[in-house]
Amino acid sequence: MATSLSLSNFFSFLLPPNPSPPKAPPALNSISLSSQKPKNAPLSWSAPEDQSSSLSTELSSVISPSLANANTLFFKSAYNIQVIVDDNEPEERLLNRFRREVMKAGVIQECKRRRFFENKQDEKKRKSREAAKRNRRRRPQARFSQPNKQEVSTKKRDEDDEDNWDMPNEALPY
Amino acid sequence: MLEPPLSCQLSITRKSALSFNNTIVTVTDVWGRVVSWSSASTCGFKGTRKGTPLAAQTAVGNAIRAVVDQCMQRAEVMIKGPGLERDAALRAIRRSGILLSFVRDVTPMPHNGYRHPKKT
Repeated sequence: MATSLSLSNFFSFLLPPNPSPPKAPPALNSISLSSQKPKNAPLSWSAPEDQSSSLSTELSSVISPSLANANTLFFKSAYNIQVIVDDNEPEERLLNRFRREVMKAGVIQECKRRRFFENKQDEKKRKSREAAKRNRRRRPQARFSQPNKQEVSTKKRDEDDEDNWDMPNEALPY
Repeated sequence: MLEPPLSCQLSITRKSALSFNNTIVTVTDVWGRVVSWSSASTCGFKGTRKGTPLAAQTAVGNAIRAVVDQCMQRAEVMIKGPGLERDAALRAIRRSGILLSFVRDVTPMPHNGYRHPKKT
């Protein structure tokens, strides 16, 4: 009884974050964060869950009717992307949704990157490329800083021109 | 002894780190116990053809056919690994007429794990 009650508490505690499916964040660095979301079930729960699973389904259907059909492994597995499929959703639409989520999460990019070892040079190049991509989208105001630089450079050139590079008109001793 | 599983999990793994690419489809029940599995190689493809989307489709078809007799109604799809076969496999599952509840990507992401072989 104690285990089943504690299980029901466990389920009711975890219900609120579940219905809003966690969407994969756009930045590559936070992929590890997204993958850890539902994997919070401590190891101690796994044993009682298997034994009293039949009891738990009945209890869960009473406490939270939506959980009756839910997958009990939902809490255990860690995932990067989740796409909840509605009934009668057209094939292409589902595929497109899935592909978009994959692009957002950058799963395939990460896999390619991790195939071979990346030395520091390559890593720096890759990071600067990514930063450039990100900044290009978010900072169109950076263009205002460039004209200032041009003015400074022209001023310097004028000062150089004032230097007397011409040969002196006086006769040289030799 | 135990209740028959109402919904099953379909897991598609696509190995990319190895030199030969393959698609493996395993069908498990809700608690993770394997019911049946099928792969591109068991469908008769060999070598480079194992890594094609067509091979993925046939593998998925075989796996589902083996389990439809056991009254599998709903399924959850877990996809692992990169590749073009992911879309083909998803399409095949959808066309086979099984209700899908979730489609999940479970590609394993190391928190910077071991050192990979050097670039070739």
